[in-house]
Amino acid sequence: MSSFPLRRLFAATSLLFLAVLAVSPAKSALSSYRSVQRRYRNLGMARARSLKDARDYERRPVAIQQVWLRDFEDRVDRCTTCHLGVADTLMKGAAEPLRFHVQTAHTPEAFDRFGCTSCHGGQGPATSTEEAHGTAADAGPPMTPAAYLEAGCGRCHAAEAVSEAPILSRGRALMDLSGCFACHAVRGQESFRSQAPSLTTVSMKTGGMWLKLWLRGPRKVDANATMPNFHLSDKEIEELSHYLFNQPVPWGLARRIQSAGEEPAGNAANGKKLFSESRCISCHTVEGKGNGSAPELSKVASSVTRGWLLAFLRDPQSFYPRTRMPRYHFSESESRDVAAYIEDELRDFDAPKDLLTPVRVNQTLAEKGEKVFRLAGCVACHSEPSGSEEKFGPELNGIGDKKAASLDFGRRTDLDRTLPAWLAAKIDSPRSFAQGLRMPSYEFNAEDTRAAVTALLSLASQPVPEPYRFAAPRAASLVPGGPVGALIDRYRCLSCHRIGEEGGDTSTAPLTYEGSKVQREWLIDYLTLSYSLRPILEERMPVLRMPREEAVQLADAFESFSLDRRIPEDPFSGQPTSDADTTEGQKLYASLGCRGCHIVGSSGGYYGPPLTDTGKRLKSGWVYAWLKGPQRWRADVRCPNYGLTDTDALRLAAYLGTLRSAPAPAPAGGAR
Amino acid sequence: MRRLRRWSLAGFLLLLATAACSKRTPAPKAVAAKAPVDSYELRLGKGIYRHYCQTCHGETGAGDGFNAFNLDPRPRDLSDSAFQKRKSDAELADTIRRGGSGVGLSALMPPWGHTLSARQIDEVLLSVRALRKGSGPEPPASGSAGARERPAKP
Repeated sequence: MSSFPLRRLFAATSLLFLAVLAVSPAKSALSSYRSVQRRYRNLGMARARSLKDARDYERRPVAIQQVWLRDFEDRVDRCTTCHLGVADTLMKGAAEPLRFHVQTAHTPEAFDRFGCTSCHGGQGPATSTEEAHGTAADAGPPMTPAAYLEAGCGRCHAAEAVSEAPILSRGRALMDLSGCFACHAVRGQESFRSQAPSLTTVSMKTGGMWLKLWLRGPRKVDANATMPNFHLSDKEIEELSHYLFNQPVPWGLARRIQSAGEEPAGNAANGKKLFSESRCISCHTVEGKGNGSAPELSKVASSVTRGWLLAFLRDPQSFYPRTRMPRYHFSESESRDVAAYIEDELRDFDAPKDLLTPVRVNQTLAEKGEKVFRLAGCVACHSEPSGSEEKFGPELNGIGDKKAASLDFGRRTDLDRTLPAWLAAKIDSPRSFAQGLRMPSYEFNAEDTRAAVTALLSLASQPVPEPYRFAAPRAASLVPGGPVGALIDRYRCLSCHRIGEEGGDTSTAPLTYEGSKVQREWLIDYLTLSYSLRPILEERMPVLRMPREEAVQLADAFESFSLDRRIPEDPFSGQPTSDADTTEGQKLYASLGCRGCHIVGSSGGYYGPPLTDTGKRLKSGWVYAWLKGPQRWRADVRCPNYGLTDTDALRLAAYLGTLRSAPAPAPAGGAR
Repeated sequence: MRRLRRWSLAGFLLLLATAACSKRTPAPKAVAAKAPVDSYELRLGKGIYRHYCQTCHGETGAGDGFNAFNLDPRPRDLSDSAFQKRKSDAELADTIRRGGSGVGLSALMPPWGHTLSARQIDEVLLSVRALRKGSGPEPPASGSAGARERPAKP
């Protein structure tokens, strides 16, 4: 009987041992993914379209699933343990976590290559929801919230605009426009130059009062301003204005401004005509109407002196070498007329009289102003960087990988303790975190803040592994050099048009293959006296008043260099087009409904360009190439692809080639 | 002996229960940014509608777009619920794909089958369904059911 307690002890111990052994399998048996997998099996069996498929669902073992990304730092993503339907079309519309993944550029085809966390963030190896999604206290960085998901695209597509990620692209464009990279170092932006103007002519450009108004809040003066608000004190503003008015104006410019100010007033009526022909609102705005990528002009005569305005109109590029404004070919008197119109009409009639009175410089204040200029950070955008100086703000590389716990929320106890919330608040009110912060505020709307946060979240501390790095192939520059290049520079064609991969997107007509597209004679006439092809657009080609010789030079250059192999020179391969072809083409024009958007003769819609002059304007090869697939030439063009056969496209091109307005149109011949 | 077995069973169950209950304490809940109301597909479809269709059909689908007054006949009022009810998803998709002339209507409605992919046509169809008068952010019941459960294309 004495062995009884011992045996009892022995039994209890072994039971305890067994129980301890059972803990792990029991935990596994009870983990939530099992019930998810059972739900998936049942839903699959219910939705299966054949007995065999149903059997396959039934036979599925309950187990942890994972995607192993060898090239991606040997990453393991176990998300598919619960998100079982991501690549299973039968799970379309199923409730999460089983839902079929929406189709994107990389899914469902490339799940094996990208896994889940490379786009969504979160903790791949975790097998509980809280840990995987990063909501558990001791988990790693959490998943990227849906609103900022496009940040994931930016990890591999590190520098360029991504067409499938519009929010990310918008954010990147905003960062560029707002000059973030002038103060913050970001990989790939080493050569960034701010578009802020040089300040050397301020003392002859404006007055002390206007300057102070501007410094108090640029956006209050001009809604198009890209300069942020630095929240300067009245004292700092006073000192800065003394400093800026103390800047020596370069001698050549000073003389030009001086003598322009002494010229007699021009003819405002003629100036008005020239102003509207010049299509200033293709970039500027007048009372809010216009493109808005350049300053508002409705009160410009109250913010700049007459001499400065006139001298600037004549040659903006010697004032601001990086300006996007073309040098119009105005004669002396024409530019006087434009200035007269601006002086008469585009002014603030309620403005105080001494708005343009210069500051009488006090040297002591000017010296203090220089300090403000450096310490407030003005220097980062408004001076030419030497390349070696330290950036004004902290580096932004890796900001997207910061842990929420490492962020300084300072006084902002109202914020969610997450990285996106911190970034959004940093952009919206950067100085609310602590005293003495110097970042200016940009006054973005909610949508733009979201875009900027998305772009910031895409800045990783480490570049993705080599096989995942995507860089859009960069072709060699197609912009001609020499005298033609100088003309393109003078008229700033690239401010609006694209040539190859360079240039702006204001214009819908890239010049890359202009020579294959338009007829030389038409182009010469058009450049000497441009007219609006599409009057419904606000951004239209300005009348640059280009002399005919320059127009010929440009047209010849396009004719010889700006060609595209995909556009045949003679689509009819030497076969003369017959009347039957053009008649068939005309029938096609009617039956396809082209008149809904295009004008021929006196009728039709004007959503697309009028086609009345096609025979004089466009080359048949281009018309044919366009008809075969408009989206090949401009991905977002609204002209539908009708899927025309070669024969039909040729017939339609033949018909359009016969269209010429009967008498010589107004813009024929060189106007000058 | 029976008592012992009962004891051990109880002990085992107790252990099981503790194991099951030992969940990690969740961190303070991170509030995600406001989730969009529409599904991703519908948002994509609305983007396509805005880009290609709105010019004629108008923002609300009433057929009062910018270019509508150049057209005779005028564009269809897509917000009309009787029209929405009469047309099946397949019919609407067919009209989008083949255009007015493809289905015996005005050629001024162009065919989009060569411009938009099958997937994009499905998406824009969702946005057309969402135009129906009185329908909220969600497409109407019949439309959404049809769209959601439509078998996937091979």
